[in-house]
Amino acid sequence: MATIVDITEEKALKVKDFEFTYAGTDAPSIKKLTMPIAKHSITALIGPSGCGKTTLLRSFNRMHDLYPGNKYNGEIIFKERNILTPKEDLIKLRIQIGMIFQKPTAFPMSIFDNVAYGLRLQGIKNKTELQGRVEKALQDAAIWNEVKDRLKHDANGLSGGQQQRLCIARAVAVEPEILLFDEPTSALDPISTAGIEELIVELRDRVSIIIVTHNMQQAARVSDYTGFMYLGELVELGRTEELFVTPKERLTEEYITGKFG
Amino acid sequence: MTHTQKRIIINNLVMVLSTLSAVIGIGFLIWILGVLVINGIDALSMTIFANEGAPPGNEDGGLKHALIGQLILVSYATLFGVPLGVLAGTYLSEYGQKAKLAETIRDVSDIMMSAPSIVIGAFVYAIVVAPSGHFSGWAGSIALTIIMLPIVLRTTDDMLQLVPSTLREAAFALGAPKYKVITQVVYRGAKAGILTGILLAVARVAGETAPLLFTSFNDNFLNTDMSQPMASLTVTMYNYATSPYEDWQKLGWAAAFILSMFILTLNILGRLFLLKKRGK
Repeated sequence: MATIVDITEEKALKVKDFEFTYAGTDAPSIKKLTMPIAKHSITALIGPSGCGKTTLLRSFNRMHDLYPGNKYNGEIIFKERNILTPKEDLIKLRIQIGMIFQKPTAFPMSIFDNVAYGLRLQGIKNKTELQGRVEKALQDAAIWNEVKDRLKHDANGLSGGQQQRLCIARAVAVEPEILLFDEPTSALDPISTAGIEELIVELRDRVSIIIVTHNMQQAARVSDYTGFMYLGELVELGRTEELFVTPKERLTEEYITGKFG
Repeated sequence: MTHTQKRIIINNLVMVLSTLSAVIGIGFLIWILGVLVINGIDALSMTIFANEGAPPGNEDGGLKHALIGQLILVSYATLFGVPLGVLAGTYLSEYGQKAKLAETIRDVSDIMMSAPSIVIGAFVYAIVVAPSGHFSGWAGSIALTIIMLPIVLRTTDDMLQLVPSTLREAAFALGAPKYKVITQVVYRGAKAGILTGILLAVARVAGETAPLLFTSFNDNFLNTDMSQPMASLTVTMYNYATSPYEDWQKLGWAAAFILSMFILTLNILGRLFLLKKRGK
C-alpha cells in the first residue's frame, strides 16, 4: 500500500481504486490507484518512463476517450461526482479541467484567435468582452507585453517558450478549476523553462495544478505535493520537501537518489 | 588495382550513368515542350479565341467553343468532385482512421486512381449516355468527377493525417466538439496541402481525352447546354490533329499549346502553395 500524507486542504480531485487499461491490452496500465489531489496547490507526478503518470493525468480530462477501446474502472471524484461515468458531459468537463501539452500546440491562427478560441466555443461573441478576457489571460500568462502589438499575427511565428505561454493563456482564459500540465517544459530551453515554472507557481492561487514531469528538480522547485509512481501504482504521496528529504518508502528513496529510472 | 581505386571508379560510373539517364529524361520533356511551343505559338491568333469551329478550308476557324466547353466541363467536375473528395477524405482521416471500412475505401480509391481513364469513360457511357440516348456535357463532367474523386480523397486523407494529433487534443482539451475541431483547427492546419491536391486533381482531369470521347463527345460550335454534346479542348485537339486538313491541324497545335500552358500553370501554382507552407 502506498504511503499517502494527510492532506488538510480541501480536495480538488479524489482518485479511488482507479484502474486504466489501454485498447488492445489485457493488463491495466494503472492498478487500483487511490490518491487525493489538494485544491489550490501544485501536485507533481514523478516516476520513471512508463510508470503511468501521463496516463493518469490524461484520465482527469478523459483525453483517452478520443481513441476507441480504452477502459476506465474505479472512481475519479470531481465536484462530488464520479467523472468516469458514461453520462459525464466531456465538453463541460474539459472546460473545467484544462490541459497544457508537452509540445506547444498553438493553433494555425492569429495570437488573438488562439486565446479567444475557448471563449468563442462557449458562445462569447461580444467583442469588448472577448478583448478584455483575451488581454487578461495574456497578462496572466506573462506574455501580454511581448505580443500586444501583434495580436493579429500568426501564432506560429512565436518562439517555443512564447507559444507554450500562449497555450497557458488559452487554457487560463476559460477560467478552469484544474490545470493539467503534461511535461510542459521538456521541449523548451532553460530560460523559457524558468519562465513557465514561475508562471505555474503564480497560477496556484486561482487553479489547482497537476504537473507531470521527468525532471525531479522541477517537481522540487514548483510543487507543494509530489506523488511518486512506479509500474502503474502510486508508491508515495507527500509534501514535496518531505518526500525529497525524508522519503517514507525505500522505492521513492532509490528513485530520487538516482538508483534507477 | 587497390580497393580504393576500384571504389572510386564504381562511384564515378554510377554517377555518370544516373546523370545521363536524368538528362535523357529531361531532354525528352524539353523536346516535347519545344515542339509544342514552336507549333503552338505559330498557330495562335486572336481569331482562335474569338471564333467557333469552322469547316475545313475556312480561314476563320477558332477554338472558342472548345475553350468554353472545357471550362464548363472541368468546372462542374470540380464542383462535384472537390466537396465529395474532401468530405470523404475527412471521414477517412478523422472518423474512419484505421477501421476496416476506411482501409477498404483507401485501397479501392488507390485502385481507381490507376484505372485507365477510358474504362471510366466506358462506364459513364453505359450508365448515363446509353440510357439517355445521347452524349451530353453532364456525362462528361460525371466521368471527370469520377477520375478526380480518388485523387482529392487521398490527398485530403494524407494531408489531414499530417496534422499533429496533439493539435486535435489541444482543441478537445478546451472543450471543442469534434466537428469544430475538424473545421476550425485541422482544416486550417492542412489548408495548403489540400489546396495543392485540388489544383493537381483539376490539372489531371483537364488533360483527359479518352473519358470525354465516350461521354461529352464533341461539337464544332459553341454550346453551353449541359444536356447536349459539348466540345472540349482535348477531344477537339484529337479530332483536328487527326484530320487531313492543314488549317484544322494548325488549330490542333494551338489547342495542345493552350491546354499545356493551363495545366503547367495549375501545377506551378500547386507547388507554390506547398513551398509557401514549407517556407513558414
